[in-house]
Amino acid sequence: MELDRCLERLYAGELLPEATIRALCFKLKEKLVRESNVVHISTPVTVVGDIHGQFHDLLEIFHIGGAAPDTNYLFLGDYVDRGLYSVETWTLLMVLKLRWPSRIQLLRGNHESRQITQSYGFYTECVNKYGGSSDVWRQFTDVFDYLALCCVVDDELFCVHGGLSPNVQTVDQIRVIDRFREIPHDGAMADLVWSDPEETGGQDARDGRTTGLESSSPHFQVSPRGAGYTFGRSVVEKFLQLNGMSKIYRAHQLCNEGYQVYFGGLVTTVWSAPNYCYRCGNKASILELYDKDNGYFNVFEEAPENKLLHHASTSGQITNNNAFLNEFFDERGGDVFSDEYQAASASRRHVEYFL
Amino acid sequence: MDSKRTRGHGINTIQINQAREIHAQTVRARDPRAQPRPVLHAPAINAPAPNRHICNNPNNPACAHCSAVIIPAPKATLPLEDTPSISIEDWTITTRKKPILNSKELDEWDRTLGGLTMPEMIFGNSFVKIENKKHDWCLEFNALDALKAVKVEDSGIRVSYANKWIKSKQAQQKSSELAESSLQIGQHYDWTYTTKYKGTIKSGTHNFTQDNSTALPLDKLSRPDPILFYDDMILFEDELADNGISVVNVKIRVMNERALLLSRFFLRVDGVLFRVYDTRVYVEFDENRVLREYKEHEADYKYVLSKNSGRHSRDPKAILRDSNWVAQQLPLVKRECEVLQF
Repeated sequence: MELDRCLERLYAGELLPEATIRALCFKLKEKLVRESNVVHISTPVTVVGDIHGQFHDLLEIFHIGGAAPDTNYLFLGDYVDRGLYSVETWTLLMVLKLRWPSRIQLLRGNHESRQITQSYGFYTECVNKYGGSSDVWRQFTDVFDYLALCCVVDDELFCVHGGLSPNVQTVDQIRVIDRFREIPHDGAMADLVWSDPEETGGQDARDGRTTGLESSSPHFQVSPRGAGYTFGRSVVEKFLQLNGMSKIYRAHQLCNEGYQVYFGGLVTTVWSAPNYCYRCGNKASILELYDKDNGYFNVFEEAPENKLLHHASTSGQITNNNAFLNEFFDERGGDVFSDEYQAASASRRHVEYFL
Repeated sequence: MDSKRTRGHGINTIQINQAREIHAQTVRARDPRAQPRPVLHAPAINAPAPNRHICNNPNNPACAHCSAVIIPAPKATLPLEDTPSISIEDWTITTRKKPILNSKELDEWDRTLGGLTMPEMIFGNSFVKIENKKHDWCLEFNALDALKAVKVEDSGIRVSYANKWIKSKQAQQKSSELAESSLQIGQHYDWTYTTKYKGTIKSGTHNFTQDNSTALPLDKLSRPDPILFYDDMILFEDELADNGISVVNVKIRVMNERALLLSRFFLRVDGVLFRVYDTRVYVEFDENRVLREYKEHEADYKYVLSKNSGRHSRDPKAILRDSNWVAQQLPLVKRECEVLQF
């Protein structure tokens, strides 16, 4: 099937046949295998954080930020899991990457992994949407192994899904990682997609509940979970200085305002899944970088379709895309303040005789 | 600064409300299907149980003939408060659902809960409240108090691959690949956010007395009495950096004679363990009696997974996300019951 034809169907919210998926995955792997672990691009580019299968919000992003290929996009990973449309989201991104490889950059997030997708919904979704077989999931997760790990914009802005690693002092050390594999539990590759910044300022002001002497370290720290790191300010400063860079942009952590600034702007989280899991009520943002010093956080809220999708999904009627879109744009339902509208939406709600 | 200008924009909330009301009335009046409004009259002698509850929130769908379920409006509209509420005799039940905390609120909470790294999603402005107006007694379930009950000390629980991870790091440290990173755990707090939260008594001198021999009247609760009020909300949730889930969920249903609240802490640490800590609050309106039952369930991850063998073999992990199913599989570790009689 032609890529443009695929795009048409995907934008309409349709699934592609399994054979097409197989061909797309094969083609994309061919393309990605030639990319380095570290992708270099230039501004202008729009940076997008976690999407997590919120397909309608991805379409919203293209509305707000401009359609591909008119706008260059850098996606920081976590395309799948949790949302209801991981398959649609990932298929669309794959086709866009194939269609305009230099306009769309896709990095790997910690959810682009076999193990995680089995626990957080992508596996289940693939099995449900593709006739009870896990073949498609296997195809998709094989592609994940080929995704690049980080991106450098204008030689100065370091973009990655999670954060820094004690095994990585220079960007060159990232280049030599063997990335064509499942994300391991430890080592540089794991840290790049997993680690979080930990702001230490203000901890002194805490009352007597502060524990341990280590708690205000600006260095790497082991998480209390027993694996994984958090990184502090001095780690960031050292990394940036050593590599001649000015800022780090990353995703990976939910923030109510859509973005979150750490260490006085040295590290910024970009989050692009509004009303995360259809219940957090948070905003999302995309970061429009005009040049290496100028950028704008374009903050947005969830796509209106989501509300209906959510209702439909909880009442188990999720069969036809057009049906609930028709319902949504139905004139009679126009006044959202009306008793009828409210009563209708109330009756759709779930009530349970729990014990 | 320029107050006139800022006030000039936008429409007053009350005006919107009035406009909406007028619009609704117009629509109603013109609707050919509309039935004449029922004329109020004294109830017949053998009429079914009279409706004695009061719907306290005008924003909610009209409680048509009071058999309709009163549920929170689809979305809270600022600056209107959306706190759905229902009153039956002396009892009032109120809920509020709000988005997760913003970063300013998070900073404040961070100071209050010093030493605890906040869970990913905190619905800090949401709550469920059960009040008895006559006795000035109020029991509330909220995220802040639930998090205060989380211990700021090492839980002793580690993710499934922690041992392997630390060993490989130690090896690297010896070969000095990892010069300056410490292998000390930075902050000690219970990262599983295990909480034995049973609700907060906000006001009133009445207190529960422990009586473990009391049981919830399951027969009464399994009757399909119409649910007059229902809500379901999360207080906080964390995905443990994708090592499982830790979540506190509160549900409430109110029937004509009684109400049941379930506050459930659900923990799954992949490859390690499951915990379900349930607090149930049962209110008998006419007897002015409150029961609070607290149960702890816990088991090994493998044990629960093995319970599922055979079924769902294609996607064995899907069912592990269902806290109801998991709770049924887990052995009971501890049970307490308390009674409060006004």
